Amino acid sequence: MLIPALWLAALVYASELTLLSVGFTLTYLTAKVPNFAHGTYAGVGIYVSFTFAKVWGLSPYLGFPVAFIVGGIMSVIIYILVIGTLARMGGGSIVLTIATLAIQITLSALIYIYAFWLRAMMGGYTMNFLLKENDFEWIGFPGIFPVAIGISIAAVLVLHYLLTRTKMGVAMRATAEDPELSSVLGININQIQLFSWFLTGGLACLAGAMIPMWFMSTPGSGSAIITSIMAGSLLGGFESVYGAIVGGFAVGLSEILLTYVGSEVFGTWVGEYRPLVPMIFLIAVLLVEPRGLQGVYDRIMARRMISPKTTPTPEAEKKEEGEKKE
Amino acid sequence: MMADIALGILGSLPTAIEGTNRLVVDIAMFFGLLVIVAMALNFQYGNAGIPNMGCAVQVIIGAFTVSALTVRLCFMIIEGAGVKLMSWASDYDWVYHMTWNVATANNFLKNQFMLSVSLLLFSLAVAILLGAVIGYLISLPAIRLRATYLMIVLITMADASQIFGRNIVSISGGTLGEFIPDVFRWYPGDKGVICAVVTLFLGLISFFIFRTMLNSPYGRLMRSLRENEVTVASVGKDVVSIRRNILMFASGVTAIAGVMNAFYTSYVIEAAYTRAYWTYWPWLMLILGGPGNNAGTFLGCAIVVALRRIIVVYKFTIQAVFFFPISYLEEIILGVLMVAVMIFRPNGLIPEKLLYVPGVNYSNIVQEEVKVDWRSAPKARLKGGGPLGRKKKEEPKEEEKK
Repeated sequence: MLIPALWLAALVYASELTLLSVGFTLTYLTAKVPNFAHGTYAGVGIYVSFTFAKVWGLSPYLGFPVAFIVGGIMSVIIYILVIGTLARMGGGSIVLTIATLAIQITLSALIYIYAFWLRAMMGGYTMNFLLKENDFEWIGFPGIFPVAIGISIAAVLVLHYLLTRTKMGVAMRATAEDPELSSVLGININQIQLFSWFLTGGLACLAGAMIPMWFMSTPGSGSAIITSIMAGSLLGGFESVYGAIVGGFAVGLSEILLTYVGSEVFGTWVGEYRPLVPMIFLIAVLLVEPRGLQGVYDRIMARRMISPKTTPTPEAEKKEEGEKKE
Repeated sequence: MMADIALGILGSLPTAIEGTNRLVVDIAMFFGLLVIVAMALNFQYGNAGIPNMGCAVQVIIGAFTVSALTVRLCFMIIEGAGVKLMSWASDYDWVYHMTWNVATANNFLKNQFMLSVSLLLFSLAVAILLGAVIGYLISLPAIRLRATYLMIVLITMADASQIFGRNIVSISGGTLGEFIPDVFRWYPGDKGVICAVVTLFLGLISFFIFRTMLNSPYGRLMRSLRENEVTVASVGKDVVSIRRNILMFASGVTAIAGVMNAFYTSYVIEAAYTRAYWTYWPWLMLILGGPGNNAGTFLGCAIVVALRRIIVVYKFTIQAVFFFPISYLEEIILGVLMVAVMIFRPNGLIPEKLLYVPGVNYSNIVQEEVKVDWRSAPKARLKGGGPLGRKKKEEPKEEEKK
């Protein structure tokens, strides 16, 4: 095998986390609420894959588009029923955040109940499973490796195209910047919100559908991943989609690699402390630079603009423009 | 039934505490525990606007104080008194000799009233101190930033404390848990009764402390901080340090609940201190009762604790109907109730009243009676406001109500 299994696992996990972090940031940008239920959407995706592979006996890859649609519809329903209603009533960001926590609790309980129902219906293991044997092989790699990385790269490219080239994406960015001004300009904010919740829910569910192809999954593993998602989003700056891409990938990669290196150096007990890695990231980012990588990038750009020695090259100017658009 | 309960409490006949009476004692105990947490939360969120999502951390600190410090102190004193204990120095001995050692300690504590009480007071004092320290530490990364960051950090800290408790055996026995010497062994009757009475007494003391603080000038400062930070800062108050002090104080009080829970169950294990139990349920109590007033907190706490305890007690009867464990039904009730209360009764069952401080002549200050909606007032000034930007439609409605 060309790449050791550890790196494969790290890369697969990092690309899944990239999708989740981007969705989390996008929700925060458009709805101004950190969606604590975002990890639990991934839990729904896990069970879409499980249903396809074990209940219906199909390839779990067929479940990926279904997972996207299921996640999107679920997310839209949550927005219409809870978040949108509360926002219309004038609930502040704290109230909305508590509402997402309540959604997270309910949704994860529903996933557990679904798992118990499956167990009652068909027996066998429905709580703790791995779908590696349903995977195909591609020149020596397990199929999920190219698929996960391909999907995350494609999603990032599509998202970039959407946000910079299409009317919908520009309207989305405008809404994130100032909802009132954009509504004055004739943007249907409700439609934008629905679209963005559909997109983020779909991406999260898609990422979740990829998790059981490589990692041991339980009904709770979706909810447990939320710390890593938030760490990735915070590392990227919390308000920058491009930052979240880098941040999510970095946190996902380092979560597995750092734990491995730590257990090689200090002993196997380090493995127990794996959930602490994203928490360390979270606290370090908040203590050092609360605006994350985006803040560092902005500072470097500002310094380059101020210093008289280097006149801004056309490339840098382009980058700055891209920056302002964000 | 009331006569039985009275008899049970006064005479403490072990036979009196059975069946329904046991349920009443249990509800009283958990009401006492959770009302301390919920009151501290009301102090922070309802009055000062600090969204403390880390109640579980502070409760777990109280429990760990008992399991790591009080137990060791107790063993040291007992060995000093000449009673032979099995060795408890290494991690292995600490866990596997714990049952024997605790049984010996319980026999010893039976006739030691003063020692038991001082152990209890020691754990409370240390827990309050450590709770305040942990409140300072967890507030460090995010207290200067937006409330959202604070919530994120505090929620993750609850998981972090559980991970430490699970893996460091000398704190609370790791995954096996740890038995706690019974400091109420001197009491001749039922232990649950005396434990509930002590907890309710502690809750009462903390209620009076909180009430005094809220009616003092500091309480008014807290409310003004909730309404508008910029105004508070512009009149020369240090917003960050006020917020940190409030968080530290409330953290210390929350740790009491952990201590009393450890003594009540005589057992500490990290898995019992999940954030779902010790953070989300107190938040539901606060939101259900109405943030900002202690009466609402009491009502919300009573409703929720009674509901939960009845589900737990009649678990096997209800369980027969469902194919999944009943705890998930409980979680669904928690989530749905929380959202429903926020949508249909945003101010809770008992909305916050306008604060009238005795001795202040309000008619001189304000000629006409102005009713301020404390809940929605800060949102109008938040940058960005509601995500849909519909707050402007909201304001005329409030005026119509007047």
